[in-house]
Amino acid sequence: MSLWHKFIFKSKRNKVKQSAARDRQHQANNPAFIICSLVLIIFDLSLLDTVLGWISLLVACSVTIRIAIYFAYQKHMPTLRTLNLLALLSIIGLIYSAWPLGFLIGMVNLLVLACALKLMQVRSQRDFYQLVVSLLFLLGCGFIFQQSMAFTLLYSLLSLAVILALGFFHAPNLKVKQQLKQLTMLCLQALPIGLLLFLLLPQLPPLWQTPKAKSSETGLADKITPGDIARLSQSSELAFRATFEGNAPTQQNRYWRAIVMEDFDGRSWQIHPLRKQNRRFQQLVQQEFSPIVAGPSIDYDVIAEPTQQHWLYALDIAVPRTVKSQSEIWQSDEFQLISHQPLVSQYQYALRSYVQTMPRQPLSELDRKLNLSLPTQGNPLTQKWVSTLRQQYPHEQAFINVLLDYFKTENFSYTLRPKPMFVDPVDTFLFEQQAGFCSHYASALAYSLRLGGIPARIVAGYQGGELMAKARQQQYLSVYQYDAHAWVEAWLPDSGWTRLDPTTLVAPDRINFGLRQAMQEEGSFLADSPFALARLTNIALFNNLRLLLADMDYNWSRWVLGFDSQKQQDLFKAIVGKLTPQRLAMLGLAIVAVIGLLLTLFFMPHWYANRLNPVQALYQKALTLLGKNGQIRAHWQGPLDFSLHIQQHLPEAISQPFKRLTESYLQLNYQTQGQDKHKSVSHKKSINTMRRELRLLKNQLSKHQFL
Amino acid sequence: MNIISQQRINQWLDKRIPAANAFQLDHRNIFIFPAKFGLLYLMLCLLLFLLGTNYQNNLMLLLCYFLLALFLVNLLSAYVNFARLSVSMGKIPEVYASDDVYLPLWINADKSLKTPMHGIVNIGFMGQKVNQWFDCDAFSNPVSLSYPCQHRGWQQAERITFSCYYPLGLFKCWTHLAFNRKILVFPKPLACPLELVPAPLSSEETPRASNNLSLNTNQDDFSHLKAYQIGEPLRHVAWKQVAKGRGMLSKEFNGSSHNVAWLTLNNSTAEHIEKTLSKLCFQVLELSRADQQFGLDLAYIRIAPASGENHRLACLTALAQYPTIADKAGFN
Repeated sequence: MSLWHKFIFKSKRNKVKQSAARDRQHQANNPAFIICSLVLIIFDLSLLDTVLGWISLLVACSVTIRIAIYFAYQKHMPTLRTLNLLALLSIIGLIYSAWPLGFLIGMVNLLVLACALKLMQVRSQRDFYQLVVSLLFLLGCGFIFQQSMAFTLLYSLLSLAVILALGFFHAPNLKVKQQLKQLTMLCLQALPIGLLLFLLLPQLPPLWQTPKAKSSETGLADKITPGDIARLSQSSELAFRATFEGNAPTQQNRYWRAIVMEDFDGRSWQIHPLRKQNRRFQQLVQQEFSPIVAGPSIDYDVIAEPTQQHWLYALDIAVPRTVKSQSEIWQSDEFQLISHQPLVSQYQYALRSYVQTMPRQPLSELDRKLNLSLPTQGNPLTQKWVSTLRQQYPHEQAFINVLLDYFKTENFSYTLRPKPMFVDPVDTFLFEQQAGFCSHYASALAYSLRLGGIPARIVAGYQGGELMAKARQQQYLSVYQYDAHAWVEAWLPDSGWTRLDPTTLVAPDRINFGLRQAMQEEGSFLADSPFALARLTNIALFNNLRLLLADMDYNWSRWVLGFDSQKQQDLFKAIVGKLTPQRLAMLGLAIVAVIGLLLTLFFMPHWYANRLNPVQALYQKALTLLGKNGQIRAHWQGPLDFSLHIQQHLPEAISQPFKRLTESYLQLNYQTQGQDKHKSVSHKKSINTMRRELRLLKNQLSKHQFL
Repeated sequence: MNIISQQRINQWLDKRIPAANAFQLDHRNIFIFPAKFGLLYLMLCLLLFLLGTNYQNNLMLLLCYFLLALFLVNLLSAYVNFARLSVSMGKIPEVYASDDVYLPLWINADKSLKTPMHGIVNIGFMGQKVNQWFDCDAFSNPVSLSYPCQHRGWQQAERITFSCYYPLGLFKCWTHLAFNRKILVFPKPLACPLELVPAPLSSEETPRASNNLSLNTNQDDFSHLKAYQIGEPLRHVAWKQVAKGRGMLSKEFNGSSHNVAWLTLNNSTAEHIEKTLSKLCFQVLELSRADQQFGLDLAYIRIAPASGENHRLACLTALAQYPTIADKAGFN
């Protein structure tokens, strides 16, 4: 048979087979998969408290499998049947364990799970693409949970790594350095366009109600039980920041109202259920309380950290300042500000506070009833004590003074580590221990006032904050969790709602200089977190570092995270002046033009580089010139032959420059390449010679008019 | 309907990318369109936009816009990269019917670009599934692409499709190139006993030999040594001389020139003509391998007795070009 000629082709067939084998091999050996594995595991670690434990375990498994395959410890991937079974079990597990966690967390867990399974399974190109898209989406979702600068940097790097993986997938044999160079270039080109889009594409309001994340709520608790162990005041996490248009109020006046608690059961204070019910009803019928406002006011913006809750922080008495804030914030009867959306991420709002209008507010019948209600039993000593006092001092103001005097004259002390008081906590606090922190004092006072027939309630919020003031910048205040505070509001016939803060009497430093000063002796300030930078303020370097970080973070929150439609409109105004439809249309066109220009700028050089090299191009030009004059180079004629042909047929004035041009061309194209150093110099020189000769040729031709 | 549209496309392609020997890709012959992954990627961007807007999350929006910009930039960089490709077709090896021909493609052979092309390029015939690829960062010229040849005779290979997804797979760049190179497919060799007939009387040559002419040239007398020339059978090389370091010499024999005989096309029936041609092809190959002189007589052409590489090619070409029944009937 024709065995022999089959033999000839055998080697070539082998080659094809080899390439198919290499195909399979390059799949497993491709760094793209390792990069994706690393991205997934790092992302998983960054969200360890959101991602379920067993899913993290699965991620670790799949990454291990990938690494084993990459380094050829393991040759075979898990079979599809195994994976399908695993997927089925995981889905059941996920439904079971993530259902109570709510949509958002469930979705993130599902995505992580899908990525982990996909990573185990990646075989074809399609699988890989699906993995990449899921990873990018996952990284995007990561921004819901983490928005600090450090995490943004981390997630950006991870996104770039995914893009690098894509690059490796399409060019597996490109050197890492080259690959990085190519993709860095690409990303740098995309970045300005992306920023332009971000700054100038309209910022839309939320399109629909976002599912609430049921992650752990942070910040203030909506229930205060003074007898419990101190939990607050021990975190140096940021609660919110406020940027003031003018001067910030003084330390003593920075009472940030958040929650008003009117329901007391003898042990704990909480928001009155009636108020909650009322709120739900009023929000349903879109009714809103509006306080009577007049007098001096302060304008400021607040950037609240995510709490997963609804209440906002404000100085008394605040009203939303901008249309956007007005539409997003609801005002309650107790002067609370409540956001329609839970604070799942940083939230910025604009307020105006009328600082002196508190006394003008009326007391409704409901207010009176709620703020006078008393628990049926408990704290008998206090009850007796108050009733005696009240008989002695029938006038409200005198009664209050006596109560406050009691805190001043008795040996009360301020501590963050009070002993627990489980039975009759007010009695124990007032007459036995006489040591506690703000909520102990507030609770005891409010209860006593109510016993004395004066409407009173507890307001929980923050007091103080760290003022950052710079010459060029607006003043802003950073308020941390350890600034949390509770105080009393009592309604007096002459002066309306009046703020009473018994803590000032016991620990004036707490109000005047903040918690850090007040707790200097006890040493309990941030005792649980020994490495918090806030503890190290006495070391100048650390303090400067802390302030610098805080400042950077502030600007990040204000300008990047807080960039909204309002700021965008300001930006538009700054660019085009008045906002008319025509001008906006022009602006839109200008953006498109700018993007087009940028793209041209990026790729112009490449277009030229892809063309013929200059040597070829110059020679071709000369040929075209001669061709126009009837001297066409036949395809069998070499450059030397053609040059001779020209010398025979055309006058010397023309043939000489062409001869020299041809010589340079041959030299550049066919000479054996010498040392690199000399090469580039002589190369340039020869090209210049060619240019010169071409010009000469052109002149001579036009002179002789060979047509 | 489908065939008509296919024809339209082909006509349009013939006008747009006419056949040539070598191609440098540029805007005239590159097509570019978002790949499937590109569409998936756009959906991801949309999803990020919706989620980012709903959560009022600027970082997510930034990511979305950045990815979108990357998509845009990728369009141009994919084009620029693909435009660095230049292809020319090399010498096509001999091929016999019902075998695959391996088309040698020289990629970026005579170019030294400042920025070389990157990424994997898929190659295949237009309209067929892509069956091969090469990596621009690691390959050796020529890249061969196989093409099945069913029948003998002249064949025009289909347009060759080159496609590339570099750098991010968001866009597919592709082109359909036609090379104006026809492939001559020789008949499939079919093993059979040699059927040599003595030269016709009209021939100048002395009639000699017989039907069962032996292939063995050993009985011929050794005449002299001469310089080896490419194409001569290796059996004739005087290996002893090579071993002594005197270079490649080949032995010349006296007798071989006398063994002249003809291969003829018997007036066989039309059904068997292909089979006969196949048998003739086998005989031509065998005789050439033995470096024996022979002539070929195919009614429509007669090739005078000779030997050597050129003679072999001439004979095979004649066999390949033997008119088919369809030709005879005038269909073609």
